[in-house]
Amino acid sequence: MLIRPSHQDHEAIRELELATGETLSDCYQCGKCTAGCPASMNTPPSVLIRKLKLGLYQQALDSESIWSCMACLTCSERCPKDVSPAAIIEGLKLIHLRELDPRADVGALGQEFLAQSTQQAVVSGFRKFI
Amino acid sequence: MSSEEHIHIPYYPGCTLKTKALGFERSAMDCARELGFEMNELKDWNCCGASFPLTDSNLMGLAGPTNVLIEAELHCKEHELDPRVITLCSFCYNTLKRTSHAFEKQPEKRTTLNAFLDREYKGTVKVEHYLEYLRDGLGFDKLAEMVKVDMSSFKVAPYYGCLLLKPGKEIGLDDPEEPTILHDFLDALGCTLVDFPGQVDCCGSYLVMREPEKAKALSNGIVDEASDYGAETIVTACPLCHSNLDKAQAANEGEGVPILYFTQLLAIALGLSTEEHKLEDNRVDPLAVITSCGAFDAAAKKSA
Ligand code: SF4
Ligand code: SF4
Repeated sequence: MLIRPSHQDHEAIRELELATGETLSDCYQCGKCTAGCPASMNTPPSVLIRKLKLGLYQQALDSESIWSCMACLTCSERCPKDVSPAAIIEGLKLIHLRELDPRADVGALGQEFLAQSTQQAVVSGFRKFI
Repeated sequence: MSSEEHIHIPYYPGCTLKTKALGFERSAMDCARELGFEMNELKDWNCCGASFPLTDSNLMGLAGPTNVLIEAELHCKEHELDPRVITLCSFCYNTLKRTSHAFEKQPEKRTTLNAFLDREYKGTVKVEHYLEYLRDGLGFDKLAEMVKVDMSSFKVAPYYGCLLLKPGKEIGLDDPEEPTILHDFLDALGCTLVDFPGQVDCCGSYLVMREPEKAKALSNGIVDEASDYGAETIVTACPLCHSNLDKAQAANEGEGVPILYFTQLLAIALGLSTEEHKLEDNRVDPLAVITSCGAFDAAAKKSA
């Protein structure tokens, strides 16, 4: 079966490129980003980018893996084509968060956990997941 | 050294240094004084936002760090200093440095932020890490001359983590894949350096807020590997790395590899009192290692 993305999918992907400042077509699928990614993702960065290049917007957006990204920047550092998979992942997360679809339940973490956590982790967690 | 000779450097602590990482700040301040410089905290500062916004269009994420850079600029003007700011936390360093880099590359962003904040950032501040000052300002050679304690029995692994180095093109502190600044620092202190492959691996970072088990596995991997290579202590420059690596060992009931801020180790090497440096905050108590290495100062004895 041929993959035939809709006009809307193409538009959404174009918007993602504009928002992130990344150019998906620069990626030549070498897989270096995935090789170095510590997050053990089901949909690792190069696969996510491949999906987006094919126009599979919804699949990329719904990928649970994006929420495991730690913004360690290993992928972006090593990409020979100067693509930042981390930025693309953050762009996808922001689409969820702007539609009020948070991905962490801070309330469930409990007071004790929060009190023990470093401020960096709490602030970053709020920024990335809520 | 008398205080008149001291070099004054504006200092941005950030939130974690004032709360969970007090020992990092206090040890850094004490060492600075001993080494001949004074860190002057900015008068009015806010959270830098912790993580730099990765998407190019997210200007809101730059508001926090821009305000900090403005405060640094004002501070330096008032005290007639070269515009600079020194930081300790890797997250703050990364965020401030990347913000100033973004403004260099895309000056229109600065214009937008200035309009939004209704203040003016002129774009002059040089963001420095404490380690950078030790290497480039003071010099590791000079540092080595000031070490008072024989540190040779300290087997220390340098752990860099991510944000102190990456992205290499913007941060420019060191080679992002094969850094040496912490290695050279440990050499200057006279420690026995334990090089290990995991030194630039991610500790799990803020994933502790969502998938703590995954983060813990990453941290444990780093600690175990350092230990396999013979490390008895790991040094870091990041409170979140410190917390993750330390807490990952919680199940060991105090046994394991103690994690120290590089400035805590520096204070020991300089023969300073570590009484106020919060060594007791660690889950894995470093005092045993410090004692066995013969660098157990009077203050540590007192607090033990
Ligand atoms: S490293 Fe860069 S070019 Fe290679 S697959 Fe990843 S994004 Fe594409
Ligand atoms: S930034 Fe995210 S996607 Fe990239 S290597 Fe790190 S965890 Fe993986």
